[in-house]
Amino acid sequence: MAVHTAGAQRTLESEAPPGRRARRRPTRQSRVTPYTFIAPFFVVFGLFGLYPLLYTLWVSLHRWDRLTGDGGFTGLANFRDLFADPDFYNATYNTFSIYLLSTVPQLLLALAVAWLLDRRLRARTTWRALVLVPQYVSVVAVALVFSQLFGRDFGVVNWVLEQLGLISAPVDWTADTWSSHLAISFMVMWRWTGYNALIYLAAMQAVPRDLYESAMVDGAGRLLTFRRITLPAIRPTLLFTVVISTIGGLQLFAEPLLFDSQANAEGGTEHQFQTLTLMLYKYGFINNDAGYASAVSWVLFLVIAAVAALNFYLTRRLGGSDR
Amino acid sequence: MATLPAAERPRARAAGPRRHDSAGPLAYALLAAVVLASVFPLYWTFVVASHSDNSVLGGSTPSLVPGGHLLENIGRVFDTVDFWKALGNSFTVAGTTAVSNVLLSSLAGYAFAKLRFPGRNALLVVVITTVMVPTQLGIIPLYLLVTDLGLYGKLSALIVPSLVSAIGVFWMRQAMEENVPDELIEAARMDGAGQLRTFWYVAWPGVRSVAAVLGMFTFMFAWNDYFWPLIALPPENGTVQIALNQLAAGYYTDYTLMLAGVVVSVVPVLVLFAVLARRIVSGVMAGAVKG
Amino acid sequence: MGSSHARRSAATAAALATLLALSGCASGSVESDGKITLTVATFSDFGYKPLIKEYEKAHPDIVVKERISQLDQHHNSLSTQLSSGSGAADVVAIEEGYLPKFRTVQDKFVNLAASGGLKRKDEYLPYKWAQGTTDGGKFVMGYGTDVGGLAICYRKDLFRRAGLPTDREAVGRLWPTWDAYFKAGDTFRTKVKDHAWFDSAGNVFSAMMNQTEYGFFDADDSYIADENPDVKRSFSASADAAADGMSANLVPFSQQWNAGIKQGRMATITCPAWMTGLIQTAAGKEGEGKWDIASVPGGGGNWGGSFLTVPKQGRHTKEAADLAAFLTSADSEKKIFQGPTGSLPSLTGALSDPAVQNTRQKYFDDAPTGKIFAASAQGLKPSYRGTKDQQVRIPFANALQLVEQRKSSPAQAWQKALSDAAKNLKH
Repeated sequence: MAVHTAGAQRTLESEAPPGRRARRRPTRQSRVTPYTFIAPFFVVFGLFGLYPLLYTLWVSLHRWDRLTGDGGFTGLANFRDLFADPDFYNATYNTFSIYLLSTVPQLLLALAVAWLLDRRLRARTTWRALVLVPQYVSVVAVALVFSQLFGRDFGVVNWVLEQLGLISAPVDWTADTWSSHLAISFMVMWRWTGYNALIYLAAMQAVPRDLYESAMVDGAGRLLTFRRITLPAIRPTLLFTVVISTIGGLQLFAEPLLFDSQANAEGGTEHQFQTLTLMLYKYGFINNDAGYASAVSWVLFLVIAAVAALNFYLTRRLGGSDR
Repeated sequence: MATLPAAERPRARAAGPRRHDSAGPLAYALLAAVVLASVFPLYWTFVVASHSDNSVLGGSTPSLVPGGHLLENIGRVFDTVDFWKALGNSFTVAGTTAVSNVLLSSLAGYAFAKLRFPGRNALLVVVITTVMVPTQLGIIPLYLLVTDLGLYGKLSALIVPSLVSAIGVFWMRQAMEENVPDELIEAARMDGAGQLRTFWYVAWPGVRSVAAVLGMFTFMFAWNDYFWPLIALPPENGTVQIALNQLAAGYYTDYTLMLAGVVVSVVPVLVLFAVLARRIVSGVMAGAVKG
Repeated sequence: MGSSHARRSAATAAALATLLALSGCASGSVESDGKITLTVATFSDFGYKPLIKEYEKAHPDIVVKERISQLDQHHNSLSTQLSSGSGAADVVAIEEGYLPKFRTVQDKFVNLAASGGLKRKDEYLPYKWAQGTTDGGKFVMGYGTDVGGLAICYRKDLFRRAGLPTDREAVGRLWPTWDAYFKAGDTFRTKVKDHAWFDSAGNVFSAMMNQTEYGFFDADDSYIADENPDVKRSFSASADAAADGMSANLVPFSQQWNAGIKQGRMATITCPAWMTGLIQTAAGKEGEGKWDIASVPGGGGNWGGSFLTVPKQGRHTKEAADLAAFLTSADSEKKIFQGPTGSLPSLTGALSDPAVQNTRQKYFDDAPTGKIFAASAQGLKPSYRGTKDQQVRIPFANALQLVEQRKSSPAQAWQKALSDAAKNLKH
């Protein structure tokens, strides 16, 4: 903090224009300035965030074909159909299943990797950089590559499992719920683990050293130190990554869409990996039923808001002891 | 919850790797395994992309040795889709949104953190609640809106809706609170500096590193977005993600072509990454949130 | 110092403004050198490359660009472009199964009658022309490109191993009906255990459905799949065959399907003319001479085939209409048939042209593909397509895959297909 203060001070002294030292009275302009500073956000959010969201509600109450437009008010019919549609519950289940399967192991693994990195290493930056590599492969590329790796007939994953004698016949990864969820979660995990590991690493390195030293004196082992000191100290960071992964994880689109070679947003023969976002895409942009798709959007919105609120609550509760 | 660039905190630097904590062989082995898992899919992609299409079809053992057709396949990628245009589009979209997010979020963050004005707290609450609103969910009206504005098919359809985000504003406000002392602002004002000058010469230097992280985040997010470009752009004016997907399309799925496309899309980013590795790593680490 | 900061911020602002301005401008279709650029959007390769070169040579002021996407995505983004009023290519291919859906928004297309389209009526196979026109033939929505006359491609070497006839005439006689086709499959499977009889139940189902006069929809566009005995019969036959293990369980046109063809995992593939190109690419050199082509069970049928349309939103609709006419001219269609894609002409003149009639494909053991396909195209009755045909098709294909994946019995799959299709009809 001191560094900044000094730096700013210097900047101010050397760069403040001379000759305008008179104390300024608050002018009309200075009263308006704050609003002009924050205006861009409110304009953009209002126009492209809030308005579409409210408009979605409006559209969801109509029969609305994307090609031909508004086809009349239908009240809650779209929502009624949605709540009567087993596919909807299936998609909700899939969304949460893939979210949990990808997030929980990912964050645990990231924690482990951070723990490994948080020590004196030769070629420190190189290790860190290599762990971060998957982050630089775009989602679509990841989806395309892993769909091939998880191919039924000559995918590398099946080949390795066969070599290890773990399976006797090739697994058709897209065919079943468990296998498709696993494969899609794997894509997410691959891409994000290293990234989260580095965030954890940063947090770990900020833990005051004397805490560790006193623990060492007490003879606590490495694992115990980790559990007793490191984990509590980086809790806010953990929660931050949980929130970020939640928002992304509940809206997975490219991975489940491209995992199916037909990319038709069906999410497999029995919709076994159709997420809510895929469902939204299918009805809105393939079947062109904007009304029904809007109903899906709103429900998805409420789901995310509920999970976000839960996260918020947990943040406050778990983070409370620090304040 | 507060945001701070870890690398710049004196305390953080002192903490560093602990002396007694040097890595043993087991740690190196485990890290090597992690790195192998991170890098293998890319290596495999490169291998497949370097073979001729027919030779990789239906082999019983996956090939792990590069073949000699990489350049030929890459040539076919550029014949099949306008990859240069896609790369240019992606850089334009991601670059513009990153710059504008940083600028607009910093300005708004500065106003929320350091300026007093009626309605400030209420407006801030609005910002915080909207952090959690995934704007993607309004995608159908957004599409109708963009269409009405005549933006369909133009890059501005991607740029304008994401010029500034709630999380950016919130983030920069936190950074301003943490890193820019009120006294400095007051002093600048006493000196007669205008709001914009005060922002630029006093507040901005204090949050530059946080802003850089925000810029990087925004860039990556825009670069990777697939859902919205898929809807808002026609395939021939797409981003890299759309171009990649184009390669996977067609009645005949040409595996080597597709993976050569992946190579083409990854290499520029990886090269950039290799050059900037140190900066990026510290940037990501600076983005960590601490209590 | 201060001025350098200021300069930098000014530069940033300027860069931002430039970027915004740049991204704001539409990709113009008139290039700086005064040339007109026309875009042709197709799904999969239509074999237009040499024709485009030829056209550009004859029209030095025109540059033609091709845009190729995947079948479903191509039509989905066309919907988007039509409803948003911009972004569509100048000439857009529409597959026959999708055409009825776009007929509902025909006002978004140029009536090709305005550029002399009506004169072409007599060039076309009557059913093809009828499909491409509306309003009692006054509105010409699209020029037909190709038709997908059906045949069966089969592996001679595998037939020999199974003791089945290998001569294409004899093979055709082996399966006058689909029942006979499945019976031959039984014989094959008892002799050759490590190969499937066909690639995918979905493909067999499609072929059978394409021989019915009315499939999922009746002439008044009402949904009849749940009561149409033809649908049930076709579904049950292909599902039962899949349950018996006759299918190689390959999702059509996927990577696995390509590999399956290369490895020769199936003895037969239902084969519209355009399929021959795909088989050649997938099977590669090693497959040459192993494949042959015989007539399809149940008489002629059509699967696929497209139309070239000109969306109104284009800037050069007149030039686009001319290009569409050129790409569907008898001479062009003939050249395409003889090219690598092998798509079958939809013009009677081209079909009866000796050059087409005498075309043989060396790859398919010198099969007289010209004669086989031309005969199937001329003899067929088109299958009626409803406006929601594509939407309904998917649940049936999914249900058949369920049987192939051994996750459901043919009867369960049928129920699932019906309920999913009903849902897709509603939303």
